[in-house]
Amino acid sequence: MGTVHARSLDPLPMKGPEFGVQADDIEAADIEQEPKQEVLENKDVVVQQVHIDGLGRTKEDLLTYEIAEVFRAKNLIDVMRRSHEARQKLLRLGIFRKVEVVIDTSRGEDALPNGLDVTFEVTELRRMTGSYNTMVGNNEGSMVLGLKLPNVFGRAEKLTFQFSYGTKETSYGLSLFKPQPGHFERNISINMYKVTGQFPWSSLRETDRGVSAEISFPVWKTSQTLKWEGVWRELGCLARTASFAIREESGHSLKSSLSHSMVIDSRNSSILPRKGGLLKIHQELAGFTGGDASFLKEDFEIQLNKTLFWDSVLSASLWGGLLLPIGERPTSIADRFYLGGPTSIRGFSMYSMGPQSEGDYLGGEGYWAGGLHLYTPLPFRPGRGGFGDLFRTHFFLNAGNLCNLNYGEGPYAHLKKLAECLRWSYGVGLVLRLGNIARLELNYCIPMGVQSGDRICDGVQFGAGIRFL
Amino acid sequence: MSLAAEAFVSQMAAAEPWPESATLYQPLKEDQILLSDCASSLAVQAYLRMCGLPVQVVCRANAEYMSPSGKIPFIHVGNQVVSELGPIVQFTKAKGHSLSDGLDDVQRAEMKAYMELVNNMLLTAELFIQWCDDATAAEISRPRYSSPYSWPLSNVLAYHKQWEVKRKMNAIGWGGKTLAQVYEDVSQCCQALSQRLGTQPFFFNKQPTELDALVFGHLFTILTTRLTSTELAERIKSYGNLLSFCRRIEQSYFEDKDKSS
Repeated sequence: MGTVHARSLDPLPMKGPEFGVQADDIEAADIEQEPKQEVLENKDVVVQQVHIDGLGRTKEDLLTYEIAEVFRAKNLIDVMRRSHEARQKLLRLGIFRKVEVVIDTSRGEDALPNGLDVTFEVTELRRMTGSYNTMVGNNEGSMVLGLKLPNVFGRAEKLTFQFSYGTKETSYGLSLFKPQPGHFERNISINMYKVTGQFPWSSLRETDRGVSAEISFPVWKTSQTLKWEGVWRELGCLARTASFAIREESGHSLKSSLSHSMVIDSRNSSILPRKGGLLKIHQELAGFTGGDASFLKEDFEIQLNKTLFWDSVLSASLWGGLLLPIGERPTSIADRFYLGGPTSIRGFSMYSMGPQSEGDYLGGEGYWAGGLHLYTPLPFRPGRGGFGDLFRTHFFLNAGNLCNLNYGEGPYAHLKKLAECLRWSYGVGLVLRLGNIARLELNYCIPMGVQSGDRICDGVQFGAGIRFL
Repeated sequence: MSLAAEAFVSQMAAAEPWPESATLYQPLKEDQILLSDCASSLAVQAYLRMCGLPVQVVCRANAEYMSPSGKIPFIHVGNQVVSELGPIVQFTKAKGHSLSDGLDDVQRAEMKAYMELVNNMLLTAELFIQWCDDATAAEISRPRYSSPYSWPLSNVLAYHKQWEVKRKMNAIGWGGKTLAQVYEDVSQCCQALSQRLGTQPFFFNKQPTELDALVFGHLFTILTTRLTSTELAERIKSYGNLLSFCRRIEQSYFEDKDKSS
């Protein structure tokens, strides 16, 4: 019997665990040899040895967990299937540039007649990879330097450092990620960062310096994350003309918070999914572990997708959140919710609705937003099967509200307050999918239910982002 | 906003009369404010009282960061925000309230020179004693300055402020000074002020000016604030006419108003 190459895919993009394994890319993973199954399935085989060639820094004990399943294979198809799964697992670790699988008959003294040897030929990523790019935006240009050590201690630990030097602001972030051997979904990560953001819609500048530690693990079909974060936040006015309400928020504060988030994601892709749903629940308790800010924040996101006729997809989403201050101190502008803009309620300017003071938006303590989309392929489907598949046309209907809640009134009054003065908009647009992480939208929007003080964007609106309503 | 637009807005603001709702912001009076900030704040309050402009004093823990220049105090009048005595004097002048209109050019120049002297000597000496004298910094300045914040932010902010002031002291050549030298500077400054004042009720005879407000703010605060050593207050107490000057301003501008209100 000759060698069978199970190599069928390009390696996964080395994005690490942040974006998860992309279901879209793995769909083709079904073994192509289906017709031959009947012939080979009956043939009993024993996997005698599994080799991994090409290891340098990587510790072998880490890999034994990933390839253990290959030994359990009983027939050739099984060997191929399990080898393929093992290969996916190895690639998911984010430490190999490529992994090839070679299955061969056993040789040597104690070789059984039906014995097989499986060899994984791996190429490790470099010890250190770097990147640099320049960015322009928000009236500022910046240079971003990135440094990544994909396999620092030999067990798939990843150390990343990012430094952004701008004409106005400097930011950096250092992060260490470590998965549990054999259970990649169970991992811990420790981060340290300084980020500066300018928010012209609030005339606010915010500088955050923080440390955080988080642990992620799967439970049943969900992915759970527990996190502690300590942030020193410095708020200031963006201009001398900022409203006094923003001036009053200026200064330093320390937030120490515990948060939990849960995600169930059965969608086939995170951008432009065709089927499945998403449920995300996030809750944050600040002040319990020290610091100046104390509040309880609850936030959820639901999305459901269904494929209809002619490849069109109906997608419905609902977001909501509540921020409850604990104690005397009112909530900080940095913790409140913002709504509006091309990524949430289209037809309104970016984060420009709800409570405001002299044109500076202050954010709200409660919000909800819902969206209904009908995605269809481009009319007459140009570029079908290739470039054209990155595009969709969509019809949308967005609605939502953002306001402050007076916490003496009881839950019924809160619901009533969120239901009155409803903002909504509808329109049509073009969506471009960028890889599997972001999308661009060009929409014609008609905003409705505009309240006094809201800033609208009537007509054509362009949007880019990662998270969309 | 362009310069022209800004100038236009301030012109418009100048046309508006002084509102009843004018507010002066300073750090927390009991737990947080330091000698130098307290003196600057009192000087502005004295100036506004001399002008007969009502102002409400509000204490905020983040007053320093709310101020457009990062200095204390600042006033919020209508929709204008103005910080520090100099700009506030300009601002009230634009609204038609001025104390130095009766002075001739020579006197006005003299007044400016003495105000510079107070700012360069007294204010700098206060900052030096607060932040560069280790005993005062450890016992008073750092704990008070950081009182509104929780650990570890409190330490970070207090040491950062101390570092900033020390850097400023080095820049203006005060870095190598000893405490005794600083006290000597204060004495000299007080002597100059005492000589200028002489037996007059105010620095420029019968009428108070912004110089009187500034001197009162600093001297009165130094006399009434407890520090690790009483040396600074002792230096001032040796000038009898300055003491009675402080008492006179306190009585005519602060005590009467408090009683009537």
